[in-house]
Amino acid sequence: MTITYVVFAGSVILFGGSAALALIWAVRAGQFENLGRGASSIFDADEPVGRPTDLTFARKEDRR
Amino acid sequence: MIGPPPLLEPSTATDAADRSFTETAARMARQRLAIDRSTSLPVLVYFASSIFWLLAGTVFAMISSIKMHAVWFLSSWEWLTFGRVRPVHQNIVAYGWASMAGIGTAIWLMARLSRSELLHAKWLVGSAVLWNLGVLLGTIAVLSGYNHGIEYLEFPAFVPPILASALILVSVWSLVVFHNRREPHVYVSQWYLFAAMIWFPWIYTAVNLLLVIYPIAGVAQGSITWWYGHNILGVWFTPIGLATIYYVLPKILGRPIYSYYLGVIGFWSLALFYNWNGAHHLIGGPLPEWLITVSIVASVMMVIPVGAVGINHHMTMRKHFKALKFSPSLRFIVFGGFAYTAVSLEGVLEAFRDVNLPTHFTHFVIAHAHLGLYGFYTMTMFGAMYYIMPRLTGWEWGSPRLISLHFWFCAIGILLMVVPLSYGGLLQGWSMLNPKIPFIDVVRRTANWMIIRSISGVLLTIGHILFTILFVRNLLHWGERRTSPTLLNPDREEYARTLAGAERLRAAGEAAGEIDGGSAR
Repeated sequence: MTITYVVFAGSVILFGGSAALALIWAVRAGQFENLGRGASSIFDADEPVGRPTDLTFARKEDRR
Repeated sequence: MIGPPPLLEPSTATDAADRSFTETAARMARQRLAIDRSTSLPVLVYFASSIFWLLAGTVFAMISSIKMHAVWFLSSWEWLTFGRVRPVHQNIVAYGWASMAGIGTAIWLMARLSRSELLHAKWLVGSAVLWNLGVLLGTIAVLSGYNHGIEYLEFPAFVPPILASALILVSVWSLVVFHNRREPHVYVSQWYLFAAMIWFPWIYTAVNLLLVIYPIAGVAQGSITWWYGHNILGVWFTPIGLATIYYVLPKILGRPIYSYYLGVIGFWSLALFYNWNGAHHLIGGPLPEWLITVSIVASVMMVIPVGAVGINHHMTMRKHFKALKFSPSLRFIVFGGFAYTAVSLEGVLEAFRDVNLPTHFTHFVIAHAHLGLYGFYTMTMFGAMYYIMPRLTGWEWGSPRLISLHFWFCAIGILLMVVPLSYGGLLQGWSMLNPKIPFIDVVRRTANWMIIRSISGVLLTIGHILFTILFVRNLLHWGERRTSPTLLNPDREEYARTLAGAERLRAAGEAAGEIDGGSAR
């Protein structure tokens, strides 16, 4: 029975706790403050918004 | 001509600002190359293993499918009886193909999104070896009759510790990559990956402790089984698939996701509701009524995350659907996105007691499972591999024609499986509810649908063989080196024009107030 209680308590703490902590951290760190910037965080100067990456060639030596 | 087409090329460096832009761009390109290179060995090992298990899983799928309408087929060997072959198929595709493809994609995504290199990559190769060993030993055990007897957990007790330790290695490594991040923003894909990397190892360990290693007694087994059975989809396959779509789709189109706000809502509502869904598999079972009702309510609440993801993907693709003519990854990813919306809404319906009554314990459920794990997840993983592989091997895909054939065999194959099997399943369910129809008549009536399923299986098998050929050719650099990106339609200028035109249309619509510019929010 002990193992059952450990697993149940662990699940509650790990699931609820990790989700709550992550959400609190994210709000405090300002992760949700500028959502527009968040959406474009996967782009950069080399692969900017407006350039489809399927058109860039995969050969490494041809890269800038 | 090599490199991006002139239409989208940044203007030539004439002044200081432009020069510094080009320098930054070059630095970012080098950084991305270094990150891709650091992940390449473990990701390729995971991908190659997943392809092996995909083929093995397909073989067992075909054997199980044929046995459903030709009982004599391979029935003289006890190793290949239905009771062994079917769980082997399920475990191989879940733990061999889907999990290994997913882990490879997740490692690559996490490194890219954190903009940090993967350190000590050899340990992850070790985890892949462990994972393969676990799946292989489990498969041999189930084939020789040592079946634990709980769905998704058929592997005997010595396998879970092997898989769990591999899983923990992967989880720790991806969290270390995140810890070393250069990108301050946590992109929505990363949230999904956290769900997979933090919650799933615990769920897997906890469930194996409670059901396989120290089995608890009675009806609680059922609720734990389905807590796991639903969560392996909800916090393992679904988040990895959605993380992939949320990254690869905007990157291919070169435009941010329509509404980042919806993306965030989608993730957090999934985190809140998905975990409660399991008990809807036990409607009518000997469980407390409140547990099942809570689960049904949570299943209906899944409309929120599913709707958010569906709207987001559709609105990002809006006016860009012509790009499907060109991009191999996009085709698979968009197919996967549509299937995700379809399968999830179907799942919501199935959770209602009235719908559950005729559909449960019929082939309708099998069709539903395949729409999810194949239509959504597997197609998305194919798309991810089409995007990731050339960036790791430095070698373009060998043949646009084969890619196109792969897509059509898999797309038609899965539709041919899901649509007739759903219909057949409904007929089967309604007949079983009618006490005037003898059970054997119900069995006879479903036989034709089983034959259609085997035919669809043949199409899928051909698709998988084509993909394996493409994969091996890419991995081993076989064939002639291509001098331009492999697109399904070779006219790159037309592709660029299509996308630029779509972008202009969208901008005009936004200016006229027709479309809400989501990315500005």
